[in-house]
Amino acid sequence: MRILDKARLRLRSLCRRPNVDFELEAELRFHLDQLIEEKISSGMPPAEARRAAQRMIGGIAQYKEECRDMRRVNFVEDLVQDVRYTIRSLAKSPGFTAVVVATLALGIGANIAIFTIVHGVLLRPLDYPKPGQLMYLTAEAPAIGSTRSALSAPEYIEFRQMNRSFAEVGAYSTGGTAYTTGEVNLSAGGRPLRVRSISVDAHLLKALGIQPEQGRFFTDEETSRWTGTLPPPIAILSHELWQTAFGGRPLVGQKLEIEGRPHEIVGIMPPEADVMDHHTQVWLPLWLPPNMARQREAHVLYVIARRKDGVTAKMAQTELSAFLVNWGDRVGTRDHVPTNHPLRSVDHTLQLQSLQDAIVGNARRPIWVLQAAVGFVLLIVCANLANLVMARAGSRRREFVLRTALGANRGRLLRQSLTEGAVISGAGGILGLLLASASVRALIRAYPTSIPRTSDLTIDLPVLLVALGLSTGTALLFGFVSLGRRRTSSMMTALKEGARAASGAWRHYARRGLVIAQVAFAVMLVIGAGLLVQTVYNLTRIDAGFDRSRLVTFSMTLPMANSEPETRAQAYQRILDRLRSVPGILGTAAMSGLPPNRTRDAIATPIENYTSDNGKPFAIIDYYQFVMGDYFGTMGISIVAGRGFERTDNASQGKVAIVNEVLAKRIWNGQNPIGHRLRPPGGSFGASDNVWHTVIGVAKDVRQGGVDRPAGTELYISLDQHDVAPPSMNVVMRTTLPPAALSGTIERIVGEVAPAVPIVRLRDMDSVFAESIRRPRLLAQLLGAFAGLALLLAAIGTYGVLSYMVTERRREIGIRVALGATRSHVLTQIMKQGLQVTALGVIIGLAGALAVNRLIASLLFRVQPTDTVTIAFVIATITVVAVVASWLPAWRASRLDPNVVLRDE
Amino acid sequence: MAKPTDLVQGTLDLLILKTISLEPKHGWAIAKRIQQVSQEALQIQQGSLYPALHRLEQQAWIKAEWRTTETGRMAKFYSLTRSGRKQLERELANWVRLSTAINIVVQEA
Repeated sequence: MRILDKARLRLRSLCRRPNVDFELEAELRFHLDQLIEEKISSGMPPAEARRAAQRMIGGIAQYKEECRDMRRVNFVEDLVQDVRYTIRSLAKSPGFTAVVVATLALGIGANIAIFTIVHGVLLRPLDYPKPGQLMYLTAEAPAIGSTRSALSAPEYIEFRQMNRSFAEVGAYSTGGTAYTTGEVNLSAGGRPLRVRSISVDAHLLKALGIQPEQGRFFTDEETSRWTGTLPPPIAILSHELWQTAFGGRPLVGQKLEIEGRPHEIVGIMPPEADVMDHHTQVWLPLWLPPNMARQREAHVLYVIARRKDGVTAKMAQTELSAFLVNWGDRVGTRDHVPTNHPLRSVDHTLQLQSLQDAIVGNARRPIWVLQAAVGFVLLIVCANLANLVMARAGSRRREFVLRTALGANRGRLLRQSLTEGAVISGAGGILGLLLASASVRALIRAYPTSIPRTSDLTIDLPVLLVALGLSTGTALLFGFVSLGRRRTSSMMTALKEGARAASGAWRHYARRGLVIAQVAFAVMLVIGAGLLVQTVYNLTRIDAGFDRSRLVTFSMTLPMANSEPETRAQAYQRILDRLRSVPGILGTAAMSGLPPNRTRDAIATPIENYTSDNGKPFAIIDYYQFVMGDYFGTMGISIVAGRGFERTDNASQGKVAIVNEVLAKRIWNGQNPIGHRLRPPGGSFGASDNVWHTVIGVAKDVRQGGVDRPAGTELYISLDQHDVAPPSMNVVMRTTLPPAALSGTIERIVGEVAPAVPIVRLRDMDSVFAESIRRPRLLAQLLGAFAGLALLLAAIGTYGVLSYMVTERRREIGIRVALGATRSHVLTQIMKQGLQVTALGVIIGLAGALAVNRLIASLLFRVQPTDTVTIAFVIATITVVAVVASWLPAWRASRLDPNVVLRDE
Repeated sequence: MAKPTDLVQGTLDLLILKTISLEPKHGWAIAKRIQQVSQEALQIQQGSLYPALHRLEQQAWIKAEWRTTETGRMAKFYSLTRSGRKQLERELANWVRLSTAINIVVQEA
């Protein structure tokens, strides 16, 4: 009952506020009149009685305020009032509002954008049922620096049978022999598409726990127990490919051509189903040729396993360690089995890690670095905000004091300040959110493969909560700072002093401290960005072993199903010949693997008079490069010993090969390799038998496994000598023309020779390089942008503090000029103050950078975290910025006319 | 002059409730009545009186209506509600307990 009454009363106070106010006023007036009457009746003259009564009663406005407080509806009333007041007062100073809202939007926006990545990539669990149970099993060969490579088929099968920790263990391959590069030609009649493919076994699909959207999965009979000489002609399409290429029309049970062979579509995957961020479009059954399925040296399978319920990662790890102690005894062979002490170059061990860690890989650290960087930017934004608000609070001091005098209490003023903060940071937060969502989308579009798990990058609830948290934090900061430390005892002085109110010494120190902090953070960011820019510069300048200027390349695949090694060789030969006759093309060649980023082949190669560490007559060679045409001439790879392939080799009976420097050194160890023989497996490039090849030359090392990784061992074989070719080749042309100008010609020439073959990745070698260093480049660009923003904000901060100081000290400066101080004297004095603050900030920032930069050491390439050139450059930049930011207010101070200033006061 | 802050916390509410328990009164009359009965010892400032009245009204312990005074002016008369009467009893009981306790302590010392 009472609750209802109370509610009714409060509602009345809210809705009928004018009425309530009117009643209150009438009531108080009645009281006043009674008081006057009393005084008159006690013998006071009426006029004096009125004055006395009014003195006793004091300000009616204050009672009104207190009575309203008692009614306890103030909160809503005040809020509405405060918001309206805030919007009015902000609209009155549009410059201030624009700067504050814009910096906040930038700071919050950058933070939300990066947090979206942190959350989507690092924190959010993978999109599989019980993703925490999924683990990734890889082979590691530390002695030769090979990490996260594939398992051999026998190892995979043995691990499946031995383990007790996993409910399901499955394998996939993006290579394999039938489908070479994780891509296939797919056609439904017209010109084929080049789509990303993956070969999986039935166990893998069970382990991942994904269900097909339509149709069915592969069965065990179609994968591990398949005995055909070619993989079973079935395929599953991704939901996305089904939608974009086939408009979502019914497809299950129909046939499509994949690599020139009809495949039945048995199912459609659910949206966004994928393995290891491969962006899979077509899922094919995993099939290995029988010899590869038995070969322990062929590391071809990537393994994903799902732990049983109740089995921890640690238990699985312990079990694997036990296997590694005596794997050979367990499986009854000592031949190339994983071991727990992989000391020799031929040894390898197995490693388990969570699937999420495996997917994120080495993107983890750059992402956290970016998050830290935007955190710094936000701190700088807050420092700037605090500074701006303090400056504004100085001039609003009179307003606040006046309001206190009129009866506003401190809590009420604080609430008003907080409302201002909430309005401003609310606007900043909303703008920031829009900015973040737009920039994340732009980032994904511009760098589709630079960030893992792009499909998980969405602004969802946790991201929104962080956005809300950031806005609330800045609102609180804004509110408390703008109210500042105001004592009512100083009310009188403040009112007298008016707008020119002297702010306390603490305020000076606080503001300078904020600028020092800004400069320090900016220094740290700019040094970090500088080091990464240096890294990218070093990466672009790296000598990958060949001359990449004016080099255009594209790749194409002649499907295995309807071509023979010999016909493929003829087709490629014809294409190379016709391209060579195009004006503007100076030379053409073809190669099986495109540097500088290819997957390792790791092919066991018998070598004459050679014994490896483990007593084998063969070595595992990292890369095989099958070439056609004038390969070394076209690519600009120099031959350091012996000779390159020549046309006369083609007719000769003795097969020849060229090795790179690393291979020559590893196998023949300083001896002249020329004349030695090795026997590459003919199956690897389409030849029918294994024949001995004589080494005729040593080529300069070409980086194949990434520009920042040491070159591996490499063997070159001339396909012209064998008249065979693998299905996929990369054609390369030395030309003065850009790729766009060539595309029509290339389409026509390839179309004449092989009508149903798509041309993919036509681009110049510079873009291939840019692609290979896209992550460090993206990191450097983002960090550079944030550092630039930080620098700008720090400059604004320095400028703001100095201008404010000059305004406050106008009088003093005026007197000093009147007493004979020269303009240059005033100028240097103010500049000195600005530069002192900057210098302190730089020193603190340098100390911070030295402490923190160790963390980015692993992201750097050929530059030390303490690189003096970068640091000197950063100090110079900051000094220039500080000089510019200080000069303007200092110049203004030196222009002050003492006559005007002193008369003003 | 006794300032409102000199009153024991919550005592003003008790005084107001007690004063209007017999008949409805307006603000001025409440202040005067307390002053008279306390023999000028308690002076209620309007600065604390009206906020207190508002608070009590907001608690629904008292209700107000506009009536004509003896002098023919309109004034806001406050009277106790049912819950206000209960509140008065509670506060009285509290007060008796508290003042007795204080008296005992003060006289003991």
